Amino acid sequence: EDQYELDSANFAIVEHRRRILDEWLAWRASVEEELRADRKEEGLPETPKEDAADADADAGEGAFVE
Amino acid sequence: MRPILLQGHERSLTQIKFSHDGDLIFSTAKDQVACVWFYANGERLGTYHGHQGALWTVDVDATTTLLATGAADNTARLWDVKSGKCLKTWEFPTAVKRVEFSDDGTQLLAVTEKRMGYLGTIAVFDIKVDVEAEQSDTPRMTITCEESKATVAGWSYLGKYIIAGHEDGSISQYDSKTGEQLLNVLVHESDMQVNDLQWAPDRTYFISASKDKTAKLISARDLQILKTYPTDTPLNSACITPKKDFVILGGGQAAMDVTTTSSRQGKFEARFYHKVFEDEIGRVRGHFGPLNTVAVHPKGQGYASGGEDGYVRVHHFDKPYFDFMYEVEREHARR
Repeated sequence: EDQYELDSANFAIVEHRRRILDEWLAWRASVEEELRADRKEEGLPETPKEDAADADADAGEGAFVE
Repeated sequence: MRPILLQGHERSLTQIKFSHDGDLIFSTAKDQVACVWFYANGERLGTYHGHQGALWTVDVDATTTLLATGAADNTARLWDVKSGKCLKTWEFPTAVKRVEFSDDGTQLLAVTEKRMGYLGTIAVFDIKVDVEAEQSDTPRMTITCEESKATVAGWSYLGKYIIAGHEDGSISQYDSKTGEQLLNVLVHESDMQVNDLQWAPDRTYFISASKDKTAKLISARDLQILKTYPTDTPLNSACITPKKDFVILGGGQAAMDVTTTSSRQGKFEARFYHKVFEDEIGRVRGHFGPLNTVAVHPKGQGYASGGEDGYVRVHHFDKPYFDFMYEVEREHARR
């Protein structure tokens, strides 16, 4: 029974975190969308050039090297 | 995560900034000299001499061409990063507590101190990102802080807003073109000074650190409080780590404010919190006095802290740091 209580408590925490993470990601998505719109309005490319370059570099990097 | 100690400053540190690519670290201290160091090995590359008082603040533009500093000698200065030459000196009636370039480097703000007969202001200069160019003598615009002086300020995404933290614990949002105050929100406890304000990489949100022992994550667009990180010590500085969803907080009670002097009692540790879940994850010890400033590598590879003890400690993150993940984050990564 103790184990059952522990498991359900852990389950509740994980559920809670899942919700918090989803909320955060949803907020980020909406902000990024607004930012793209603002950039377009100002005549800028939708994503900054260097960010696009960084993303490419990261994709090639693979595993973290110490 | 063995730190590198940067030795060169003779007084307490006031601010640390990384260059945009993360290769260089700029630091200011009460010893009147700004320093530049290599992030990789902690070697000092050069110094910037000229100020006649304690330096409070430093920033570097995104192309690492121009350095800006502000000091107790009532001046803000612009420097050639490479040669160390002072390119421009702007004089104010009071000390300059904070400087920051807009993300494109074409504007610089300077927060001035309040003193008998002078209200605190935020002066905004147009900047030409060119060491040969003649810079303007006067600000394009000056925002006067009638209610409560600004202690820190910065530029939001696309230079759209100027966001300022105040002595009374509030945060303001100004239209960066007109200087009109659009919002003012009491984000921290009343009369608990905002000591730092640092941006997320895309400048759509920021973190504020306050004397009220909390740091808060705040949206630039509407000043909505997104997250709160409570601690047990007054906070001087906070930053948001790229790559991992963490925030790093620095603070500690000054020796004169605590009855015992052990470093444990003073709580001189950098604290890591999970940005999204608001839990404390770990602490890094090392300083012998309060942490006055923390700054993170722009690509999230490490961080630096500057202490009241006069040291800068640079930490390069190692593998366990990058591997650390909550179960729900792992789940999400698999999706």
